[in-house]
Amino acid sequence: MWRKLSYLFRRKRFNQELDDEIRFHLEMAAAERGEQAARRDFGPVLRMKEDTRSAWQVQWLVDLASDLRYALRALKRNPGFAAAAIFSLALGIGANTTIFSLTMEFLFSQPSCRNPETLAHMEIGGNSHAHMPHYRFLRDAHIFEGLAGSYEEGESNWRFGNDSYRLHVMRVTRNFFNVVGVPVAMGRPMEPGDGDVVVLSERFWKARLAADPNIVGKTLNIDGRPYVVTGVLPHNHRTVLGFGFSPDLYIPASRETDIVALIARLPAGMSMAVARARLTAACKQLDQVYPNQYGPNFAWSRNVEVVPVAGVERLKSMNILAFAAFFAMLQIVVGLVLLIACANVSSLLLARASARRQELAIRFAIGAGRGRIVRQLLAESLLLALAGTGAGLMLNIWLASVMNRVQLPLPIPLQLLIQPDWRLLLYSTGVAAISAVVAGFMPALKATREGISGALKSAERQVEGRWTLRNALVVGQLAVSAVLLTTGCLFVRNMTKSITMNPGFDTEHTAWAQMRLVPDKYTARAQTQALVRRALDEVRGLPGVEAAGFATAVPLNSNEVQGDSIRTDVSDQAAGLGFHLNFVAPDYFRTMGIPLRGRDFLPSDREGAPDVAILNENLARRLFGNRNPIGHTFRFTEPKLSDPVTVIGVAKNSKYFTLGEQGGLAAYWPYFQMDRSIVDLHFLVRAARPSDVVKEITRTLGRFDSSASVEVKPMRDAMGFAFLPSRVGAALLGSMGLLGLALASIGLYGVLAYSVARRTREIGLRVALGADSPAVLRMVAHESLTLLVIGLAIGLGISLFATRPLAMFLVPDLSTSDPVTFLTVVAVLAAVAVAATLGPAVRALRVDPMKALRYE
Amino acid sequence: MQPTPELLPGTLYLLILRTLARGPLHGYAIAKRIKESSDAALEIEEGSLYPALNRMLVKGWLTAEWGISDNNRKARFYSLTLAGRKQLAEETQQFDRLIQAIQLVMRTA
Repeated sequence: MWRKLSYLFRRKRFNQELDDEIRFHLEMAAAERGEQAARRDFGPVLRMKEDTRSAWQVQWLVDLASDLRYALRALKRNPGFAAAAIFSLALGIGANTTIFSLTMEFLFSQPSCRNPETLAHMEIGGNSHAHMPHYRFLRDAHIFEGLAGSYEEGESNWRFGNDSYRLHVMRVTRNFFNVVGVPVAMGRPMEPGDGDVVVLSERFWKARLAADPNIVGKTLNIDGRPYVVTGVLPHNHRTVLGFGFSPDLYIPASRETDIVALIARLPAGMSMAVARARLTAACKQLDQVYPNQYGPNFAWSRNVEVVPVAGVERLKSMNILAFAAFFAMLQIVVGLVLLIACANVSSLLLARASARRQELAIRFAIGAGRGRIVRQLLAESLLLALAGTGAGLMLNIWLASVMNRVQLPLPIPLQLLIQPDWRLLLYSTGVAAISAVVAGFMPALKATREGISGALKSAERQVEGRWTLRNALVVGQLAVSAVLLTTGCLFVRNMTKSITMNPGFDTEHTAWAQMRLVPDKYTARAQTQALVRRALDEVRGLPGVEAAGFATAVPLNSNEVQGDSIRTDVSDQAAGLGFHLNFVAPDYFRTMGIPLRGRDFLPSDREGAPDVAILNENLARRLFGNRNPIGHTFRFTEPKLSDPVTVIGVAKNSKYFTLGEQGGLAAYWPYFQMDRSIVDLHFLVRAARPSDVVKEITRTLGRFDSSASVEVKPMRDAMGFAFLPSRVGAALLGSMGLLGLALASIGLYGVLAYSVARRTREIGLRVALGADSPAVLRMVAHESLTLLVIGLAIGLGISLFATRPLAMFLVPDLSTSDPVTFLTVVAVLAAVAVAATLGPAVRALRVDPMKALRYE
Repeated sequence: MQPTPELLPGTLYLLILRTLARGPLHGYAIAKRIKESSDAALEIEEGSLYPALNRMLVKGWLTAEWGISDNNRKARFYSLTLAGRKQLAEETQQFDRLIQAIQLVMRTA
């Protein structure tokens, strides 16, 4: 094979050498026997040359080349047909490869690091993070080539000019860049022995520092301390965490209270199992030094896990099934879109094949086998698929650049870095090959089925059965687009429902002020509490403000679930429960518009006063059944039995983390009884027109501490995160549904127009025999309506079952058999079918009987 | 022209391999050698030699090199490779068995 391949590159020299050799042979022979005898003995020179060359050629490759050449010529002769087919395929393949790129980037992208295969995340004692002393202990055990730590969810205040901004920072141990091998674009990475240093992301450097070329060595004021910039990350930096997460800065994790996720560089060739055994052994020692860290049953050496940072295993270990399912569904949906595109090309090819009967007949007649002709026709669809893929890839690159620029309204910064790579190339080549076969195979078989005898018959006289392959294609297209439209429509309905859905608190008349304090300045909780108390007083006094509250978590924006074991005064059994916990100040419920039974927290519910709590209805029922819980008490049983906590009120159920959730448990504690200091403060303000008070609140809160960052926005604007899944779903699937619909209507129109054109003679005859316009219209409409009804029936039938699993993405009060959705789909497809029929039908009416009869 | 016996299929390879076993030759010399050693009884169409030689190059039984012929002309010399020698041994054995079998049938039947 390789010898043959080398022939391809020295064809010219080969021919020259062959000529030389023949000349030498003939001259030698002529010298002995005379020229004539020499030529006679040698035989025909041309045939011999042909035979010799063919010894070196790969026959199928030569055939393919000539088939492709021929196909190219055939397509050039029909530019309209080629353009329609390529356009269809480009849309289908563009959508397909874009979703593929998105899936790859989101789920399988490689982090920016050296040798990701020897890099692993570690969990000890079932904890994803460890405190600094524990981290240092394990690092100094030297069980791996290196052990680093990072904390992804960090925030810091950056003082710039007269303002403070909240930034997303990655806190890493100083050896992080060395162990992980993160490349930097400018300057140098953070190194062990560095003091307060910072490595900037390219985005932050460009957007906030105007891409200052001399930034290295300058200082940034972060959380009230100067940090020296050592370097800037490259544009294509991907964090080890993945999922497009992109913090603004990397700073050292230096406080003893910092927690870090452990990431280790394994020696080359060490398996995950060996690494786990080593880590477990080290954790046994850790248990000796720091015993009973989290209660008597806790041990670091239990639940030890070692997970590679990249690849499938990481996905398995993370709880992202819903994510993966969503991407899988997208991939199926774009597969359907491509299927519709292929059906379009198929019916175009079919139409062309009947126009090409004469040509095929000639080829049959001069001795081409059926296989050879099928191959020739497939070469044509392969060429179309390749051109379509080329155009589709351009579409992909454009869409990817759009997605890379999208800024999602998330509490953490996400940045996608979709770039074409070999996986995309491989995938699109596969898609092209499959679509060539899918689109081309049936038409090619059909065109050649009848052999010479069929091909020689005049196409126009051919009487086709009612149930032709072409009609089947239209029905199939209609069915598939019905499924697509149903899916798209469901997600659009889901979006409108979730936007208008009542989250259980008032989002129209509330504003949310987020204030982050510099931790070093507020180590004692009394300081923070004093600030909160004064801030609430001042904000309440502002004009236009009706009420103001305070909370440690804002619903739909925080997913902190507290796990505790609780024993009530009506039972002697402790129940293990997970519930949303929020520390709130008095007036929170009135501010948020959450109805409350019993009493609200009062200023007197402070440190030293008896512990009190407010439960939501779900938790109250769970703990106390149908009894009135107010006045009852409960205790926590771990780590040790707590003092009794009295229930003073029951708040109406609302949504806590997602709009789709149901039966969420929640408990509220008085903020002024909270036993630790916090730096993330959330003030909630009730006002008739929240946008009017934003500025005043910002100014008021800013006056308390200039080093604190303050962000104030109307609650409605801050709900972006909660609505994001439904919006993304609606945008992606709605547009796929539309794309499928567009492609299917083009196909439907094309087929109907073609079938009317084919019946020109028949219609002319009917009109000549006295058929009036309504009769002709009925006839044409009958055909398309039959197709429509069958296609819709099949499509809706499939949708009814195929969309069942989508329920996991939809809000609870939207069923997958939502009647509005199904009616919409029927209406839309019927409208498209009518529009596609109207054109050809009108043309059919204009047929001049004389012309039609004289047609041949 | 005397009709010459047709070659058994595949025997051209064998003849070429055998001829080249004694050392590299150019195309014309191979044709001549085959003709002479068969007392002109086996007269192959000389042109058909070259497609066969090229197929054998593709199979890796032969290599070809340009050199200088006896009469000081540039000519292409073919020589056996290791694979070619193995092939020769194999084909000779098979051929012998075939001939013996045919002869056995001719004598006894």
